[in-house]
Amino acid sequence: MTTHFISAEVDLPNTAEELDSAIKIELEKHGEPLRWAVTEVDVDRQKAVVEGYVLVKLPATASPVTA
Amino acid sequence: MNLRPFTVVLIVPTGVGASIGGFAGDALPVARAIAQISDTLITHPNVLNGAQLYWPIPNALYVEGYALDKFAQGCWGLQPVHQNRIGLILDRGIEPELQLRQLQAADAARATLGLNITDYVLTDRPLEVELRMSESGASWGTIANPDSLLRAAEKLITQAKVQAIAVVARFPEDEGSKALENYRHGTGVDPLAGAEAVISHLIVRTFKIPCAHAPALLPLPLDPHLSPRSAAEEIGYTFLPCVLAGLSKAPQFVTLGSAERDADRERKYTQLPITADRVDAVVIPATACGGSAILSLSGRSTVQIIAVGDNKTQMQANPEKLGIKALQVNSYLEAIGVLVALRAGITTASLGADISPLRCLSDSTKQI
Repeated sequence: MTTHFISAEVDLPNTAEELDSAIKIELEKHGEPLRWAVTEVDVDRQKAVVEGYVLVKLPATASPVTA
Repeated sequence: MNLRPFTVVLIVPTGVGASIGGFAGDALPVARAIAQISDTLITHPNVLNGAQLYWPIPNALYVEGYALDKFAQGCWGLQPVHQNRIGLILDRGIEPELQLRQLQAADAARATLGLNITDYVLTDRPLEVELRMSESGASWGTIANPDSLLRAAEKLITQAKVQAIAVVARFPEDEGSKALENYRHGTGVDPLAGAEAVISHLIVRTFKIPCAHAPALLPLPLDPHLSPRSAAEEIGYTFLPCVLAGLSKAPQFVTLGSAERDADRERKYTQLPITADRVDAVVIPATACGGSAILSLSGRSTVQIIAVGDNKTQMQANPEKLGIKALQVNSYLEAIGVLVALRAGITTASLGADISPLRCLSDSTKQI
């Protein structure tokens, strides 16, 4: 098991609850989400910037991953 | 008589450079003040831990961040306890003398505070913590051997039957770095905090029991310009006492959802756990509203989110940008005033000089 840092952009949905789900779906592409937060919102582009950690069960490199 | 207990969640995210609560237990005064006007205060180690300093708040629940997210999602309940049996994990990467300092801190907590700390485990491999800063300015980090950490926790749970786990990991010495200098002078971001959160999250996620972390570091040379906000970490050899005190009464986690679990819960506890539907208000720095707990709680119409402008962070996730309905205040003093009004059942709009007229909703339904 390894822990990885992920940075990703997520489309801003209509509600905060939908954003919560959209972030989890995006992070789950890389592993199991462990901790994350929206760090910035680009209102013009309607994007939320997310940083977080995921758990990866298979051996992988320890370098940060950018999505 | 109001039968609904007034329940407040206080969050100061760790490792994001919060100007209040981003250092060494420096949000504790805020927590103490809010606890005075709450029946239950739910908060997390970053708020309550001040290295050698802490303050026992009888109505405060010490809930690790991963568990706080699960609580906010409605997945986990919080079951208050009288005392937890605590196990201690020491990173094999800690030098023998520094290990002894941690064990002596645990012994001191047993002798002076009466804490039930029964066993410790040395990890089978060094955890090898690495620290980084993200583009946003938040601190983060990884551990090279998370499986070793989890094996140690499993041993404490299965062999010693501990109910909470304190972890001490060897963190890299950062002496002479600008980041550490800034932190000691009360500016910038806690460079250790992000990695600490990963360690405790891993254990709470896997074993669903309370956990908190204290770093092992060598004492730093005396700095005459040390900020009061950072000073709690420079008065001793370990940061462990606050963690042990917090864990000793940290609520247990009750997984919600199935009838079997509900029955099990009833067998184990006579008191129902505290769940997210009991939350009345959340207090959060205004720029740090992008965490999982806030996004989850914002969907509950009964929760008042109070965003504090004075508590600056490196984040730029304001409630209005995220579509979160929040009451924005300047300071914690103002937030406390809002909480008093909420508890009394007074709408804050009635406390200002200008009260807007009632709105007349237009009838959009077609008359037949």
